[in-house]
Amino acid sequence: MTVEPLVRATALTKRFGSVTALDALTVDIPHGRTGLVGANGAGKTTFFRLLLGLGRATSGRLEVGGHAVDDDPIGVRSTIGYMPEHDCLPLDQTAADVAATFAELSGLPPRAARQRASDVLDLVGLDEARFRPIAGFSTGMRQRTKLAQALVADPQLLLLDEPTAGLDPTGREEMLALVARVGTFGISVLLATHLLDDVQQVCDNVVMIDGGALVVAGATEGLVQRTGMVVVDVGDRGGELVSALVARGMNATVVDDTVEVTVTAVDDVDTIRDAIADLGLPLHRLSNRFRSLDDVFLTAAGHP
Amino acid sequence: MTSTTSGATSGAVYDRGYRPYDGPRGGRRAVRLALFRVSVRRALGLRRPWRQKVAPFLLLGVAVIPAVVNVGIGYVTRDSPPIGFEFITYRDYVVVSSSLFLLFVALTGPDVLCPDRRNKVLPLLFARPLTGADYVAAKLGAIATIVFAFGVIPQIVLFGGQMLVRDRALDYLRDNAEVLWQVPAAVAVVAIYYAAIVLAISSLTGRRIVAAAVFIGLMFATATVSAILVGDTSQQFNQGSVAGLIDLAALPLHLRDLLFLGHLDPEGPLGGVAKGGLFAVGTYAAVLSVALVVLFVRYRWEDR
Repeated sequence: MTVEPLVRATALTKRFGSVTALDALTVDIPHGRTGLVGANGAGKTTFFRLLLGLGRATSGRLEVGGHAVDDDPIGVRSTIGYMPEHDCLPLDQTAADVAATFAELSGLPPRAARQRASDVLDLVGLDEARFRPIAGFSTGMRQRTKLAQALVADPQLLLLDEPTAGLDPTGREEMLALVARVGTFGISVLLATHLLDDVQQVCDNVVMIDGGALVVAGATEGLVQRTGMVVVDVGDRGGELVSALVARGMNATVVDDTVEVTVTAVDDVDTIRDAIADLGLPLHRLSNRFRSLDDVFLTAAGHP
Repeated sequence: MTSTTSGATSGAVYDRGYRPYDGPRGGRRAVRLALFRVSVRRALGLRRPWRQKVAPFLLLGVAVIPAVVNVGIGYVTRDSPPIGFEFITYRDYVVVSSSLFLLFVALTGPDVLCPDRRNKVLPLLFARPLTGADYVAAKLGAIATIVFAFGVIPQIVLFGGQMLVRDRALDYLRDNAEVLWQVPAAVAVVAIYYAAIVLAISSLTGRRIVAAAVFIGLMFATATVSAILVGDTSQQFNQGSVAGLIDLAALPLHLRDLLFLGHLDPEGPLGGVAKGGLFAVGTYAAVLSVALVVLFVRYRWEDR
């Protein structure tokens, strides 16, 4: 049985005068957590705006849950939660008021809106701070408030635009953990970022765009595939191992205190193991080397 | 997930997790109504620090004072008509004191519109099932309603008080029954007009103080220019002049006169002008239309 994609873009093009923000973008985005990756100006925010029906495509078609955005932008919008990148919160209001207000503005009755606001602020870790004015919040707390207002109406799709921007390492990890957790609630997440590590950490799928055009799309696991390299950590005696492996006719080099060995057959791993045993080296790690999403992006986009 | 501690007294920590919302959801009408409610609350300082409540309610209190004084004097002199005291008429009381009225409009109008632009909340608002027209309708409705209440509440105090201090309250009600529709109609004409102008000006800036100053300045500037021109022509022709239409603050008062008197005030700035009533209605409609066009253009939320 074929599962319908959550978002389907077909030859989607958006031009602002002479600038092409999206260039015949054709991609299917499945349910689940998907990273929308691209450099600044790649067209991520434009894609979000088209999803929300806040702009009209120059040409092409965009569907969310099988509904064309151009045909029913309000209907599509009511199924989406949006967390913008920039500051967008009324600073003189409390987090509880903001979340409740945006729940009401999504059509929830006032009493239900306040209850949902309380629940969602609890979920994002702002339960104790919810009655404080946002002006006194840290960047991390503001990001959480933005996430709360996006979640408060229980959307089917959550659009997160650079949710870790401006956060310190701890705040970033906590935000990514929240995003990963939201994905387990049955809410699909589309995470726009230029930080490939964020995507690799929490997303099941990746869509990479560059200059408004699709670079590559697919399951994260599939893109970060094996490279035919094995990484061996034998402490500070990597040079000895390289010499031994080269003597056995293999291609090996020392990279960042580890030894990277090209393997072409299963027997090659046995050869590495035997060389280590013969030399009496301490074996700390022997693993496949995976490509990072950075490698995938740079290779697919044709960047040096 | 529940964890408990062993012992006679045991505590429990509950992770309530995420509860999807499956309650009722309103459509665009409910969202418009929610934005209307939020805007009214904001303008009156409800659910905000007490300092925000002081100004609107203080002004309302001041506006009611003439009514209370009139009723008080009416009660004290009910057996012998006062000499040298002229009771305020419902027609005169429509705008209470024009300066007080303008001050109230300048205070509440920018406060419901400017912060949305200044705090960059608009992208969040328009990510909801809401159009630019819905936004304008809700905000205009909120301010017009508040201004209407500001104009009508003192009238209710005046009418109710005058009725109660009479020996024959029902006779007073019957004798003055026409003001029961004249006052609401006249105040509505004034409220919609001032609300549209102050919001149109507020839509052009993110700073409340600038919007309020421009609104007050525009009203006084046009009143001054009009007074100078009408004064000159009055000396020449011994009558009013179409230049009286320049006075934007007084323009709705001509419509008030049409509602109360059936014709323009002969001693007013348009007194004696042929088809002056028609000119007044036309100018009123034109100014209102310009204000609405500015608002709808400013919040035509697409392709920004």
